[in-house]
Amino acid sequence: MNKYFRELSVAAALGILLCVLAVYAPHFYEPQPLLSRLTAQAPTLVLTLGISMVMITRQIDISIGSQFGLCAVIAGLVSAGGYGFPTAIVSAIGAGAFMGAINGWLVAWMRLPSIVVTLATMVTWAEVLRLFQQGKFINLPSGVQWFGFSQFSGQVFLITLGVCLVAFLAHILKTRTGGRHIYAVGCDAEAARLSGIRPNHVTFGVFVLMGCLAGLAAVLNLVQSPQVDPKCGTGLELKAIAAAVVGGIAVNGGRGTLWGAFVGLLLLATINPALTFLHVEAYWEKAIQGLVILLAVIADGIRSRHNTL
Amino acid sequence: MSASNRPLSKLLLRHESLLVLVLILEVVVFLVTARNFGTADNVSNIVRHSAEIGLLALAMMPVILTGGIDLSVGSLMGLCAVLFGVMTHDWHLPILPAAFVTLIAGILAGGFNALVITTLRLPPLIVTLGTYSLFRGLAEAITQGTKTYRAFDANFIALGEARWLGLPMQAWCLALASVFFFLMVHRSTFGRSFRAIGFSPEGTRYAGISVQVRTALPYLISGLVAAIAALLFTARLRQARADAGTGYELYAITAVVLGGTSIFGGIGTVYGTLAGITAIAVLSNGIGRIPAVFKAGIGGELASMLTGALLLVALAAPGVGQLLAKLVTKDSKPPKIS
Repeated sequence: MNKYFRELSVAAALGILLCVLAVYAPHFYEPQPLLSRLTAQAPTLVLTLGISMVMITRQIDISIGSQFGLCAVIAGLVSAGGYGFPTAIVSAIGAGAFMGAINGWLVAWMRLPSIVVTLATMVTWAEVLRLFQQGKFINLPSGVQWFGFSQFSGQVFLITLGVCLVAFLAHILKTRTGGRHIYAVGCDAEAARLSGIRPNHVTFGVFVLMGCLAGLAAVLNLVQSPQVDPKCGTGLELKAIAAAVVGGIAVNGGRGTLWGAFVGLLLLATINPALTFLHVEAYWEKAIQGLVILLAVIADGIRSRHNTL
Repeated sequence: MSASNRPLSKLLLRHESLLVLVLILEVVVFLVTARNFGTADNVSNIVRHSAEIGLLALAMMPVILTGGIDLSVGSLMGLCAVLFGVMTHDWHLPILPAAFVTLIAGILAGGFNALVITTLRLPPLIVTLGTYSLFRGLAEAITQGTKTYRAFDANFIALGEARWLGLPMQAWCLALASVFFFLMVHRSTFGRSFRAIGFSPEGTRYAGISVQVRTALPYLISGLVAAIAALLFTARLRQARADAGTGYELYAITAVVLGGTSIFGGIGTVYGTLAGITAIAVLSNGIGRIPAVFKAGIGGELASMLTGALLLVALAAPGVGQLLAKLVTKDSKPPKIS
């Protein structure tokens, strides 16, 4: 069987869905709305890349939605305070790295399960944000939206940036030592340690990188509107995890590719508008997302059982 | 195990004893700073408001004891509350059958978790993360995101407000559940097998215990308890909405971990969990009653934030303790490799 069977089957599902849409809802392909829908997925894509690497190391991070919200507000406040947009980008990524480092330290060196650590940090950051911002929106200065470009070139820039980031990180994961270490630790941390890798450092690094990517994602979200919504991160962690799981990132670590996660995100991102176009009510979004996660996990579970038997 | 023949310092250093000290500290601080904290009214208030989380935590404890986790309980509460509302209002069922069907739905949902986790050997974390989204999503789909069921039968509302022998109904529910879980975890072979599974599932299997069945049981009970909590919640607030129990899984897990149950499974006590529940309940009630916090209206946020921080501290505490112990005994013994 092809090595990329899992990724290809997701891509096939996406292809079928796109064909169905082409027949029953051709309006889906109108260029401007399509471009906007794709652009809106750029922040989630960046989060998905981060969570995929976290999951490949056999960890999880459910605090990324809260990190995202906090970074967005920090970047918004910095640029609204007149310190310039580059400073805002740096401070958002820095704040993300700091929050990722806390998670990473607790998971790698205190040997705590990442789910509980990030559950705790998820709530802590979300409540810090609520306490501090009280749900108030932040108005951004005029030069920030679309990086100062026109809307069209801004959207094209964001999408290009997202795809380049996928290509770059996927290349590193596939060919560079650091990338292979991530897979090694996810497959078997003890074996990795015995072959000279320091699993703690790898785990810590992946969490910090996750934080940086959450900061970057927040910036990519920020430039799409004239205001910052302090609740913008709510539920994003589930979307990113769902995309990764659907795209074939193994929940037991050590397996999966970033291109797979990318296709997984495209599939999920197409399902929701497809439902609207095919006249299913939008209230089902969360339920379908949960169902898709479960189906992907169950399919992987059945497949791995068949392989081991 | 009796603690009487152990040195006093060891007894004091036990997790549960430390927790009781924290609890006493909390009570003293709030008695001094918070308004109307020590009144009998407020004590019964604390019990009424913490009953649902308490029940969820008690049910979560055996799950974590087997080395698993159930993130879906809060969402299941929402789904059960909505189902109950649909049956009483849209289908005009009487209270008792509706409540009965709600409990069955809870067991089925818990059974679904258990089935997927045990038969396919999938990590409980990711499975219950999926059902966390699924159950809440179903609740939102049924109510179209906005519908609220109000005006319940007076007999049902009494469940949330009446007293029996001077104590609120919630206190009796909690007491009953505590006794049930104490007997199950500490006085039955089931409880011992939960612990054994938490330590080593493979070893337990070799000992001739059916690991799959015994791992499934805590999830089933957890589903049932989530349904009971949903009924109590609906009765107390007099309304059923899709967002019932949002974030309650965190409080339940926090209470269990705070109460000394190892998140890796195998170690833990029911009375520790009870102490953990009390610590959280007292904290969130007391903070809102400190005049400055009350005036600013930030009691809820502050309490949630401190609960999250408390969980982190409770998690890190054993590790930091080991680190300190290692530093102290550095020259005497090499650290044990496990």
